[in-house]
Amino acid sequence: MKKSIFKFIIPLSLVFLTLSYSCKKFLNQPIANALVPSVLATKAGVDGLLIGAYAMLPMSGNPTTGDTWGGSVSNWHFGGIGSDDANKGSNPTDQPDAAAIMNHSVDGSNDYVRTKWWSCLDGVQRANDVLRELPLVKDGSISAEYAAEVTAEAKFLRGVFNLELSKVFRNVPYVDETITYSAGNYNVGNPGPIWDKVEKDLTDATGALPATQAQLGRANKYAAEAFLAKALMFDHKYTDALAALTDIMTNGVTDQGVHFALNANFNNNFDADMKNGPEAVFAVQMAVHDGSSGNNGNPGDILNFPAAGPTGCCGFYQPSFTLVNAFRVTAGGLPFINADGSLPLNDYDGNPIVAAVNGASPGNNSTLKSDQGVDATDSKYMPDQTTPVDPRLDWTAGRRGIPFIDYGIMPGASWARAQGDAGPYINMKNVYHQSSAATQSESYGGWAPGQASAMNYNMIRYSDILLMAAECQVEGGNQAAAEALVNQVRGRMVDHPENWVKGRLTGYTANDATKPIVDNTQNAANYVIARYTGQIAGGTKEFARQAVFYERRLELAMEGQRFFDLQRWDGTFGGPEPTGYMASVLNKAIATNTSYPAAYFSNGVMKNATFTAGRNEIYPIPTGQINVEHGALKQNAGYP
Amino acid sequence: MFKSLLLKGRTMCILVLCLLSSLVVTAQTKITGKVIGGDDKQPIIGATVKIKGTNVGVVTDVNGNFTLSGKNGYVLIISYIGYQAKTITVSSSDLGTITLDVTNSTLNEVVVTGYQSQRKKDITSAIAVVDVTDAKRIPTGGATANILQGQAAGVTVVTQGQPGGGASVQIRGIQNFGNSQPLYVIDGVQGNSMSNLNPNDIESIQILKDPGSYAIYGVAGGNGVVVITTKKGKAGASTISYDAYYGTQVPKGGNVFNILSPAGMSKLAYLAGDQSVYLKIYPGGAGTVPEYGYQGPGASGVAGGPGANPVGDLLSKYNFDASNTANDFLIQKFNQSGTDWFHALFKAAPEQYHTVTASGANDKNNYYMSLGYLDQQGTMVYTYYKRYEARVNTNFNIAKNLRVGETGYFYYGLSPLGTSDIPGQGGISNQNEGAPISNTYRIMPQIPVYDISGTNFGGTYDGPGGEPLGNGANPVAQAFQYQNDYSKNWNIQGNVFAELDFLKHFTAHISMGGNMNNYYYAQFHTPAYMDYESHGGSNGSNEGAGYNSNYNWTNTIKYSQIFGKHNVTALVGFEQKYYNGRYINGSGDNLFSVDPSYVNLTNVTANRQVSSGINQPIGTQSFFGSLDYTYNDKYILRATVRRDGSSVFYPGQQWGTFPSVSAAWRISQEDFLKSVSWINDMKIRASWGEAGFSSNVAGYNAYSLYNGTLGNGYYPIAGAGVTQQGFYQSNLGNTHTTWENDKGLDIGLDASLFNHFELTFDWYRKTISGLLFAANVPNTLGGAQPPAINLGNVGNNGMDIAIDYRNNVGNDFKYHAGVNVTVYKNKILSLPNNYIDDAFNRVNTIVRHEVGHPIGEFFGYQVAGFYSAADMTNANVPKYAGAQEGSFKYADVNNDGQITDADRTFIGNPNPKFTYGINLGATYKAFDISAILYGSYGNQVYNYTLYWTDFYGSFNGAKSNDALTKSYGAPGVTNPLLPIQSDLNSMGTTQTSSFYVSNASFLKIRNVQLGYTFDPKIIKTIGMSKLRVYVQATNPVTITKYKGLDPELPPGTGNAQSFGIDEGNYPSNQRQWIVGLNLTF
Repeated sequence: MKKSIFKFIIPLSLVFLTLSYSCKKFLNQPIANALVPSVLATKAGVDGLLIGAYAMLPMSGNPTTGDTWGGSVSNWHFGGIGSDDANKGSNPTDQPDAAAIMNHSVDGSNDYVRTKWWSCLDGVQRANDVLRELPLVKDGSISAEYAAEVTAEAKFLRGVFNLELSKVFRNVPYVDETITYSAGNYNVGNPGPIWDKVEKDLTDATGALPATQAQLGRANKYAAEAFLAKALMFDHKYTDALAALTDIMTNGVTDQGVHFALNANFNNNFDADMKNGPEAVFAVQMAVHDGSSGNNGNPGDILNFPAAGPTGCCGFYQPSFTLVNAFRVTAGGLPFINADGSLPLNDYDGNPIVAAVNGASPGNNSTLKSDQGVDATDSKYMPDQTTPVDPRLDWTAGRRGIPFIDYGIMPGASWARAQGDAGPYINMKNVYHQSSAATQSESYGGWAPGQASAMNYNMIRYSDILLMAAECQVEGGNQAAAEALVNQVRGRMVDHPENWVKGRLTGYTANDATKPIVDNTQNAANYVIARYTGQIAGGTKEFARQAVFYERRLELAMEGQRFFDLQRWDGTFGGPEPTGYMASVLNKAIATNTSYPAAYFSNGVMKNATFTAGRNEIYPIPTGQINVEHGALKQNAGYP
Repeated sequence: MFKSLLLKGRTMCILVLCLLSSLVVTAQTKITGKVIGGDDKQPIIGATVKIKGTNVGVVTDVNGNFTLSGKNGYVLIISYIGYQAKTITVSSSDLGTITLDVTNSTLNEVVVTGYQSQRKKDITSAIAVVDVTDAKRIPTGGATANILQGQAAGVTVVTQGQPGGGASVQIRGIQNFGNSQPLYVIDGVQGNSMSNLNPNDIESIQILKDPGSYAIYGVAGGNGVVVITTKKGKAGASTISYDAYYGTQVPKGGNVFNILSPAGMSKLAYLAGDQSVYLKIYPGGAGTVPEYGYQGPGASGVAGGPGANPVGDLLSKYNFDASNTANDFLIQKFNQSGTDWFHALFKAAPEQYHTVTASGANDKNNYYMSLGYLDQQGTMVYTYYKRYEARVNTNFNIAKNLRVGETGYFYYGLSPLGTSDIPGQGGISNQNEGAPISNTYRIMPQIPVYDISGTNFGGTYDGPGGEPLGNGANPVAQAFQYQNDYSKNWNIQGNVFAELDFLKHFTAHISMGGNMNNYYYAQFHTPAYMDYESHGGSNGSNEGAGYNSNYNWTNTIKYSQIFGKHNVTALVGFEQKYYNGRYINGSGDNLFSVDPSYVNLTNVTANRQVSSGINQPIGTQSFFGSLDYTYNDKYILRATVRRDGSSVFYPGQQWGTFPSVSAAWRISQEDFLKSVSWINDMKIRASWGEAGFSSNVAGYNAYSLYNGTLGNGYYPIAGAGVTQQGFYQSNLGNTHTTWENDKGLDIGLDASLFNHFELTFDWYRKTISGLLFAANVPNTLGGAQPPAINLGNVGNNGMDIAIDYRNNVGNDFKYHAGVNVTVYKNKILSLPNNYIDDAFNRVNTIVRHEVGHPIGEFFGYQVAGFYSAADMTNANVPKYAGAQEGSFKYADVNNDGQITDADRTFIGNPNPKFTYGINLGATYKAFDISAILYGSYGNQVYNYTLYWTDFYGSFNGAKSNDALTKSYGAPGVTNPLLPIQSDLNSMGTTQTSSFYVSNASFLKIRNVQLGYTFDPKIIKTIGMSKLRVYVQATNPVTITKYKGLDPELPPGTGNAQSFGIDEGNYPSNQRQWIVGLNLTF
């Protein structure tokens, strides 16, 4: 009996002993679902990290960085609704963070601000990851040439993300590859702008990148040079910028080796089937139907579709009255600009547009008639077909009675989510063509049908290059050269009337508003556009400036640029216009956009809004980041 | 190796000593007797008969008889649970019949604690023993943990109304930021839930509340431990019993969210001056509502009634196209009297539970088997939880000193709703502004449940363009979707064990147990047509499956011996635990047919997606030991130590040691108190211990990781619209992170007084240090998830008080009353950056966790009345942008003359000052009556539902009566409750403020039960041995000043540490009327 007990105890003790020595293995369980850094120390791994850095370019869709749309590269928020381009859209209470950006009450707790900051820095660190991983590759798979190429692309991306960060926040930390968690040096301060660092990275990239790339999404030499030029513009170094821009205009080619040029059809820039054409200097590539549930399909713009028509949601980013009215032209086809550079149009003078109900003509003939307050079922409404307008208008904003891309006649109020609050116009430039909806769009995240799209976002397109060069020429005193550049941009439209919006509404069948009668041989509205004929070359410097600025406004409207252009031009940070310029432009626009009778256009978000000079030109640093950096990071001036 | 040899040497010495001591035997004779119960005069089977001062003893057999060797003069102690122990001095060899009196005291109960059993009276730390008989009377709603509510001091339980919705259980308050739930140990197997147990299978529940008692569970025990033992067969003839109840649940009546009538909504739109809405949907003027709303291709609006276009041939245009919503021309007839949305969604619903058990035992073996069926329908339409259960527990004495056995539980759960531990599954999402419950207060009353077709749903879409009807969803339509969904769970849990007695005083126990959970779910949705935002889309399907499994391998050796007045028990053990799992999910859209038998992932035609993953495996190894020493039943000492190693941490941080020591002094045994007749028993105890907690950290926390997921790493680098995989750093690793450390002191008193009272009092202090937090690193590190690190401390202190009184008047009337009170105070001692904002809602954060304050306090502006016209012109009155006359005036807390972020302050605390449970019971002859009350005092609720209903400027949607009749500027209002109603928003309407905070103290009568037990003599003739029938009212009364649905709130969309926020909660205080029976053959 006792023997048998010992038989039991001894093996048991042995089991105990064995276990205590096998612990180590048991306590090192494999890591599930992820890669450890050593696995990536190959050429394929480094290239994967580089693609991962490119993947941050949409600045959205990163579940760790908050809202899908808060950081969007299209800058529909910071550049668009923060300026006079667009209203937030939807109901006044929907997306209060967007409302705060629109009415300039934004503060450091704003979630869009937080997301933008984080998305940009995430991109910076993804680029840094490439630079950190390169020296770890010891298997000989990477040649010196390839290492130089990869380094240049990583620096390009770091420059792009830092430029984006600088545009929005100006005083930003410079995070290079030495900043890591394990080094503990991550509380990086923001003593001032980092233009020199951005310019250095982009100069390095310009020097090392090839002129052509087999993969069209990659940056080439001229993409890098274009961002360098843009950074120099923000740094107000017009001479250096012009040198870079001139090189691009002279030698610049796309990844495929095609010389940069304007598309004959303006709308090709906003057609998913025509992407990566000669005008795309650098585009953020988008794709759908890749199994990512729309996450790679311009997720930053998913709210920005009409509330009916192309998709069912969400009615954000609606062109403003002031923007649409800015497209009116003189009978000669030129913008309304006084000789002294001031803008005569009454939409800047605070005059309200009186309701044009049931087809009656608007009370003030100098503003474009709209269908504000007109029911979608109204079968008498006709759009304004007589006031001369720039043909780019109807490739920029959806208006009732005018064809909306290839969706047919825009039916008016039924496509605007809350017309009374956000106006009658619908954004267009991020909306894919109906003809390619099946291939170029998909549902985003299961809840936003058709709102992910494969349309690229052009961070820099060639007309931007031309217009930046025009600005440099004005500041350099060569107004004739500036006029030539502006005319080059206008010339695309002037020379290609076949690409103006066709389809004139002539009536409705059986008084049914859903059955418009359309004459497709005629232009949809009275389009007039002409080249300048010496007005810039021979005008005052201020006229020349405003003509270039105005051209930028029209050409690049609803592309997220406007706020940053105004910021660049304002004297506060060294721009050519007086200090307070941006505030005066935007406060005038606020006055106009809030002066309508409430029943007609309540615009609740903008009531009592003011753009405060010396503060609102840049956005606040996220408060959470100031807190977590323990004093290293300082808030921008004027923000609490 | 050398060290272990030495250890072995010591062990040998102890073994030899033990051998010697067992040789002390003298001349003996046989002594016999029979033990019966004083109550029913039936034999007591299994009573212990022990020779005093030794550990020699026997157990009575099936006839209550015992035989043991002894001699005259020996003193025998005869004891059995529930009876007073009797001491008899042996005077003859046949002691005849010995009657044990029923005790009012539960002191002799044997309770299962950490890895062993103890007598309740020998407990040296804070362990609550739940009266399972009382607790079982609370219908579980499918979540068995609900029965703990109000049943033990120190335990806070928040229940949910959703069938199978689970309960939130906290022992001694909230402990940390993350998982504060206790560890459940069921029949020795550690797991994470008791909620799917059949309550009828539960024999006992012990709750280990202080580190002194749960330190033996080491790193798993830091939040407290609930130890559950399931039933074994009891000696005697085999019995078959049937327990069942059937009942109906009735939702709360009345206008629960105080929603306006349609005419009132119309008046309010005019009062608020919201022309863009009232011109569209109330064109006839204030108080009018048109007849119809419609929307179709190119057409939308209202028709009929004052101010609207005539109806004409409108109704003939109605068209519904299930396959293409673009063709829809939908028309709804506005409900002039108002749709009662809450009661359109919540209806009376039945519930039933049936359990059949068979059990029995002989002197060698015992068995217990049960089959159960729960069908818990939810009061919210289309919600339910069904569970089919089977249990087999068996024990076999295969030799005199060798026992083997098993416990096995299998259940199959079925529900239309996901549970939170199933990835990829939506479900009802309680406490969420988009959930059906929340939509009952968001959707306007004039919208009908069904449109003019009578079968298709009405909704916010069917009306003028824009969204004047709001963007809430039709909650009945939402719930209707759940019909297509189901979630199935198959779970096996239990263990197999063997126990060997050897060398007289040793018992070796080896157990292999675990939990294996398989789940499968499928969801199907059709295109939404009734809601504003999602009009369109396609049908789609989503299904997935997975498993979780864990095992516990536990080995212990126990040594137990009595030397004179010294009673020693020692235990050493080794335990290994392992967890892993996998899951897979697929989805797709655009099925040709919506026939449920056609819907699958093969037949989807668009967006087919699949994903899968591994649950990070976790391994834990542990060594532990305990020593119990009792001297003369007077001084009791217990010490435990555990050493745990966990794979969750980096080598070097994997091992931790968790000691505890506790002591008790049975003061009533001292001579100076022995003469005090009213003290039956009194014990003072103190304990100190240390435990850990690691569930709030992922198993890969130590490692920097890279990932390349579709949505986050892929990029169409070639420009052709085809994405290519890229990588990005997904996680930052920290090699220094280790567990949260729980240290605590408990001082307690257990007393039995006046023969009828039992009192337990505990005072405790507990510090949780090194709280596991995601490191708050700046964005300069990019987008990778920061690792959890140990930062921050929390201190809890409090009191647990339990008083029990039992008495009887004569033999026929017996009664008892129990009260338990839980008092805890939680305080954050340190935090990175001093505070954390939490509970992000549509408008702002609601909660700030700040040092010096308890976890979960509400933080926002203090409302100090309304801005008067005079205030508006007085520059000295601090104002915010957009303030107007009648806006909330906020207190300028920092007195800087302006209202800014910095004026936010603490405005309420969801932590109760105390919670309490009251159990009452009485029997008179064959009747019995019992009641369970549960209350909470001093807790506050943040009623977020008011954001939607009380402020016109929030989203368009249903508004409250108060908005029309009690707001500033409303006709006849002199003493307003709400600010001016306006469609302009400002900080006055969009910020977290004290307006939303209300006192939510409550007292719920959870349960009143009246039972009748038939005379055994009568029912014996029809083959039954026991028959009891009862009627029960559950939640008949809730007393509270809180105006929302239910003041008892589970955490919402924020984290577990943000609670007491009402976003629209499936109420758990609905009345239930139940009839039931307990029958034994």
